[in-house]
Amino acid sequence: MSATAWIVLAVIAALVVWAIAVYNRLVQLRNRIANAFGQIDVQLKRRYDLVPNLVEVARGYLSHEAATLEAVIKARGQAQGAAAAARAAPTSAGAMGALAVAEQALGGSLGRLMVVAESYPELKADATMQSLSEELTSTENRLGFARQAYNDQVLDFNDQAAQFPAIVVARLLGFPTAPMLEATRSDEERAAPRVQF
Amino acid sequence: MRFWDHQLSARSETRRLLLAFALAVAVLVAAVHGALVVAWLLMVAVLPVHLPFPAGFLAVNVGVSLMLVLGGWWVETSNLRAGGVKLAQRIGAREARPSVSHAEQRLCNIVHELCIAAHMPQPQVMVLPRTDAINAFAAGWDASDAVVAVTQGALDHLTREELQGMVAHELSHLHEGDTRLKMRLAGMVFGLELVYNFGDEVRERRGLAWLFGSAIMLAGFAGWLAGRMLKAAVSRQREYLADARAVQWTRSRDGLGGVLRKVMAQRRDTPAGYERVTHQGLAHPAVQHMLLVDLPGAGAMERWLDSHPTLAERVQRIYGRSMQPLPLTPVNEPPEAARRAGTVAPGAVTLASLVDPFARL
Repeated sequence: MSATAWIVLAVIAALVVWAIAVYNRLVQLRNRIANAFGQIDVQLKRRYDLVPNLVEVARGYLSHEAATLEAVIKARGQAQGAAAAARAAPTSAGAMGALAVAEQALGGSLGRLMVVAESYPELKADATMQSLSEELTSTENRLGFARQAYNDQVLDFNDQAAQFPAIVVARLLGFPTAPMLEATRSDEERAAPRVQF
Repeated sequence: MRFWDHQLSARSETRRLLLAFALAVAVLVAAVHGALVVAWLLMVAVLPVHLPFPAGFLAVNVGVSLMLVLGGWWVETSNLRAGGVKLAQRIGAREARPSVSHAEQRLCNIVHELCIAAHMPQPQVMVLPRTDAINAFAAGWDASDAVVAVTQGALDHLTREELQGMVAHELSHLHEGDTRLKMRLAGMVFGLELVYNFGDEVRERRGLAWLFGSAIMLAGFAGWLAGRMLKAAVSRQREYLADARAVQWTRSRDGLGGVLRKVMAQRRDTPAGYERVTHQGLAHPAVQHMLLVDLPGAGAMERWLDSHPTLAERVQRIYGRSMQPLPLTPVNEPPEAARRAGTVAPGAVTLASLVDPFARL
């Protein structure tokens, strides 16, 4: 074989090795995104486990607030169901949307419960209640951080996949850019709330 | 705070300093040889006899000084290598007890939360129960024996958000491998110090040895001083990096910013002098460089040998302008459960066992 042929072969081999390295890196980053998403799921589960305990403790003090407590329990049940559906079909946009809505409802009813609890000093002073509300705060934070970590992973992946020359491999082997999680999904949610008296 | 930019600059600054450190070692070795050659020439000039230049002079000089530096480095590094948890226990820290004390439950939760934000395994959480000064430290060679310890003063005076900023700063030190980096640098400085000590020993033999010993001592001293200054400069850059990391992970300036401003207030408002606030355990040399804020009381040269930037500089970086100290009041979310230890009857179902399925195992 002539020298030119050898050079061409060497260049092709180098290109292949490089493409393999890029591909492996992208796969690794994509798996990290999946892992980060799993973290969010873990924290959601923790929140569902926490709610019944919270309601049980509050029930002893809030006998006149049965409606608030029922709303929390109901929202929890719906969110749990939506989460199971989303887990079964992680690629379905509909299931993810439903989960987001159910989560929002649960967050709202928990927030209302906490506001009600504010006006019951004995409930606020209850040691178990203090611990539970600390756990709830922590769970909300963990959810927030897990979402933030997910977005950081997505940023990392998108940075790697969109930079030249890696973008050539990413396009050829079908790595689409990953979507960021957004706190709000619809235009109505993003609009500022109107207060009426 | 533009935390991405601050992180980039701290990283490149560290690299530059490490390069300078390697250069300093090379210069030291050259200086030892140079000083010995000068001493030799002086001796030949003074003595009446004619002596040939010693064969292999360069190789022996370079070999001996390199052996001292690297050997000292190796010895000191393996000394410092004792686990993080052991070190924390030695200075009086104990494990946090989330099931007994509300404040410590909160601390453990915060560490867990931020480990999610930082994508890292959870370190052991510890408390320094007899220390009033607001402070914290991280230690450990690798993930398996990493530890974050927080003082009682911090638990008493910091809000949840501020505690988050403080823990995030310490986690950054673990995440970026600063513990290892700083231990290696400390070992290197010790090695440089050995050259100085060796010169001192040679000098004690009087006569001609005095001349050679002094030459080695001089070179060793210059190297040791340069090493210490570079080590401190690296440490300061890692503090800036950890501050920027804390803001990135908590996405809040007021968390860590509040801690630093409260430390300012604690230093200013303590009537009998800040030294009277208990710093029990924190003065241990092995944890000094991993503290959130350094202890007061450095003498002259402090700016060059300080392991931490001043509080004002750090606050300036975090907020982009200087800020007033924050008044020190016991936090609104009271840690009284910590004081009333014993409210939980033994054998009672603790919260941890309700929430965490593994706690029951």
